[in-house]
Amino acid sequence: MNAQQKLHQLEDWQASIAAARLEKCPQSLLEMIPYADFIGAQAKIENDRLLYWLDKRPTNIGNPSLPAIHGGVIGGFLELSAAIEILYSLEIAAVPKVVDFSLDYLRAGRYKTIYAKCNVLRQGKKLVNVTATAWQDDENTPIATARCHFLI
Amino acid sequence: MAFDMTMALFRPALKYAMEKNGHGKALGLKMTEINRGEIKLTFPYKQDVIGNPLTGVIHGGVIVSLIDTACGSAAMTVLKTPAVAPTMDLRLDYMHPAEPNKPIYVEAKVYRQTSNVIFCRGLAWQDDKENPIAHGIANFMKVDSKSINFSAIAITQLRRLMPWGSSTASDKATEK
Repeated sequence: MNAQQKLHQLEDWQASIAAARLEKCPQSLLEMIPYADFIGAQAKIENDRLLYWLDKRPTNIGNPSLPAIHGGVIGGFLELSAAIEILYSLEIAAVPKVVDFSLDYLRAGRYKTIYAKCNVLRQGKKLVNVTATAWQDDENTPIATARCHFLI
Repeated sequence: MAFDMTMALFRPALKYAMEKNGHGKALGLKMTEINRGEIKLTFPYKQDVIGNPLTGVIHGGVIVSLIDTACGSAAMTVLKTPAVAPTMDLRLDYMHPAEPNKPIYVEAKVYRQTSNVIFCRGLAWQDDKENPIAHGIANFMKVDSKSINFSAIAITQLRRLMPWGSSTASDKATEK
């Protein structure tokens, strides 16, 4: 790919992000990322906040005998949600680069839909700190919490 | 070293469980080494898991899955009778992005265990192990979960080889 094509691609990307913000459609951001489709992550706006969810699917199972959702999928989903939160709500255009990611598993992820919400705790010039919480039945009984740092 | 009967039985069972089921199968990971307290696996590059469409770099979530799988498997192998040990927490440091179109190698080791907790370290790299993509630590709980039933696994696998072989519930669940 030459420099010209790369520039075009970047312009397209920035235009899509601007469109997603304008149309209040975070789902269109997820659709640009192949990994989101691989695990089946979705997003919408609910009460002025972004809500992410992951419907159950066989390819996300970690322990087939329970069955339970793979811990790595829960982690990947929260990391993805945190990145989308930054892309959607902060005025940046590049894909945020993850620096570190820390995850506490509180309960087993049963074979059903997982929901998540994120919070941007601090936005600096270079670094953003985001927390993410995942739950299944009740927002007050989370199955996992994560915090991550992204370079922007 | 004395012949480790438990590991001889556990090795194929674990390999099968990780490579042929659910998310491990979807990712296409391969377990290359399974020993007490030490796991090595390989992940071939896959376009389905790209996280940055501008560069083709895979999503960090894949590395989370790889390190979690490797550390979790390593934790299982240190138990007297291998059983599932739930993850308490996991922390990953991303040193640099994974290069597209190249496999990722992962190694996980149990570096300490107490009566309740198993402490693991994991490393992911591509060309040079000294220059890793990511480093992670994960801790696991020792719980009184049902130990893995080797004879049941052996029977299931034998049954699958038979022409009239019936597929198990987990097989049905993983069919696309």
